[in-house]
Amino acid sequence: MSVISPSAFAPAASRTQAANDAAASAPTSLREKIRRLERAHSIQHAGKTAVPLGLPAIDALLPEGGLLTGALHEVEAGPSPSGRVAAHDGAALGFAAHLMGRFAARTPGTLLWCRRPSGVFDAPPYAPALAASFDPARLLMVTARRDEDVFWAMEEGLRCPGIAAVLGETRAADATSGRRLSLAAEKSGVPALLLRPQPAPPQSVCVTRWRIASAPSRSTPGLHDVGAARWRLDLRRNRFGAPSIAEIPSWLVEWNDETHCLAVVPETLHGSPGALFEERLFEERMVGPRLAS
Amino acid sequence: MRLADARALVPDLVTAPGEPQADERLIETIAGWCDRYTPWVAIDPLGGALAEEGVEACSAGGFGGDAGLLLDVTGCAHLFGHDEAGERALLADLVARLTRHDFTCRAAMADTAGAAWALARYAERQADLFCPRHGQRDALASLPVEGLRLDAPILETFVKLGLRRIGDLYPMPRAPLARRFGDLPLTRLDQALGARDEVLEPRRAVPAFRTRLSFVEPIGRPEDIAAATSRLLAALCRQFEQAGVGARRLEIALYRVDGSVDRTAIGTSRPNRDNPKLMKLFEEKLGELDPGFGVELMILAAPEVEAWSGTQDVLPEAGALALSLGSDGTIDLADRLALRLGAENVVRLLPRDSHLPERVQVAVAVSSKPAANGAWRRLAGLKGARPTRLLQRPEPVEVTAFVPDDPPSVFHWHRHAHRIVRADGPERIADEWWRPRPDGSRPPANTVPPVRDYYRVEDDDGGRFWLFRDGPYKLAANGQPTARWFLHGFCA
Repeated sequence: MSVISPSAFAPAASRTQAANDAAASAPTSLREKIRRLERAHSIQHAGKTAVPLGLPAIDALLPEGGLLTGALHEVEAGPSPSGRVAAHDGAALGFAAHLMGRFAARTPGTLLWCRRPSGVFDAPPYAPALAASFDPARLLMVTARRDEDVFWAMEEGLRCPGIAAVLGETRAADATSGRRLSLAAEKSGVPALLLRPQPAPPQSVCVTRWRIASAPSRSTPGLHDVGAARWRLDLRRNRFGAPSIAEIPSWLVEWNDETHCLAVVPETLHGSPGALFEERLFEERMVGPRLAS
Repeated sequence: MRLADARALVPDLVTAPGEPQADERLIETIAGWCDRYTPWVAIDPLGGALAEEGVEACSAGGFGGDAGLLLDVTGCAHLFGHDEAGERALLADLVARLTRHDFTCRAAMADTAGAAWALARYAERQADLFCPRHGQRDALASLPVEGLRLDAPILETFVKLGLRRIGDLYPMPRAPLARRFGDLPLTRLDQALGARDEVLEPRRAVPAFRTRLSFVEPIGRPEDIAAATSRLLAALCRQFEQAGVGARRLEIALYRVDGSVDRTAIGTSRPNRDNPKLMKLFEEKLGELDPGFGVELMILAAPEVEAWSGTQDVLPEAGALALSLGSDGTIDLADRLALRLGAENVVRLLPRDSHLPERVQVAVAVSSKPAANGAWRRLAGLKGARPTRLLQRPEPVEVTAFVPDDPPSVFHWHRHAHRIVRADGPERIADEWWRPRPDGSRPPANTVPPVRDYYRVEDDDGGRFWLFRDGPYKLAANGQPTARWFLHGFCA
């Protein structure tokens, strides 16, 4: 076996070493590349911190036990119990304000609220009611004439370090703007909320999507007064979350106007016999021994 | 002279209808262009006055023939050269540039506005147009008395008396002159000779802080304009630092080669001299500027400045909130948003002590003092259950109620019947009689103020609304008790 100059040919051992290195590095870099492409889809980048809703039954389903900060969440107004389009999105706004309040309690800073007025019947959010969820003094209210400006303002807000949470009220949101928002949220760790007055065609960018419909309030026998407000809450999208029995987990929640908190109403009181069984199974799984006992 | 007479004398006379407004706009444009030499540009009021008196019928040129601009170039000529050479160069440059734009003009420079006015109009030789320092007495002596900016009757009397040249007035005893003609001729004479001050009112407010950058070659690319803006801004921020102020408003002007000027401005919520932040605001606006065929000069001015007090300008009672607003960039964010969306669209909400629901929340500018800690909570605690959305304008609804003072059983809104199953109320809210009405009138005394009875209702579909009855039921013409009902908000 003739040995040629080592300078001309690298020794066999080192050659295989280099080849191995290259083989090892190529997949790593590729993996890195893919991971970077998939940034929005990985929980590592969406922010490990989550803000619990304060409802154990729902938080158990959510990733990290709550709403991820640094992610986009959608709240849409659902149809009323009879199936009609809801007359207004007051309930969805109430729930969105509650989420803003949860985010606001976590970090100090300004809450950015961007909206596009809807013409003659414009009904802006009313601060005395919002005060139940957070201090409206922290609110920076932005009105834009176009949807693009709403998204632009939201993105600017998401990049600003002094902002605790950003909410955008808009009818239109396409996949591109949703994706831009979730990327911006992911980068800064500031939570973004989209409030839609009507159910919109689904976009797959948000981490959670909630559908809120107002439900008949708690009735006191013999009285005809309006009781505590109740909402039908559907979790229509739950990315990275725990799987649930129901295809779309749904709860009836009640807003307590005095303590300013939400509570899940046990639905066994309402359900039909067929649904009753499923509901009970579901409740047992969610709440466990408390209900079982 | 009438047009017909003039045509009879000169058959091939070229005529055009007079357009005083267009003339005025043109002179405004030229005045704006002259900002390149000095911020202190005034439109000569006398030129316009003479034009109104009918001189234009005889004069041949544009804009009344006698329109003029007065420029105070004190401290500006050094940009063109030293001392007198600089002043001469400035004058030559001004005339050359205006001539290049096809304007016929005569420009003179003197120590006083009055002397320059007279020289520009009545100097016979080109060399006389530049009056050396302290030379106005000699320069004006040979000019006609019309050069003194006097009214026509006084001038006529002067001519009758044989006072044809300004120099003829020099040896005249002042007291008889004043007794005969009033104060004006002596004032004008003194002003022209520099014995009395004359205040020129600049066309635009003269900014105290201003930087300029002129280019050898006209620039037009957006990147070049941005780079130039950045340099101007850096120079201006140094001026701010020396003076201890911050800008509330900045204006940038692009002087284009075709003589037109394009301007844009940015505003900030509080005094700012942070170069990168201001540049970021400008970046939003620079896109709107049109460099046209090229920009030869850019001027950055700060028309509004305020004393700079750093980041410690928070009043103690404003609380920790304002401190956080200032330090964490929210104010800068608000500036950026306000620049694009309009300042009235970026607001903060303040609580107001009022019973009327629509008056409770008031939108204020971001820079104003925020609500005190817990003020909103206190206010919300005082009120009953409130809707999450309040309609800007209450919507009239049709209502069916079995008993007049009961909550309604059905209401129609948007062509949809809402059957009411539950209701809270009424909550009576009376008009604030101590406040003047929206039209400014005061409610008459000894009358019951209008009241609203609010009901929170829930329809059979679970939707919750906030309705009110405007005043009590009244008997209508058909004998039925009626009342007007409105929808005012949507509850959670």
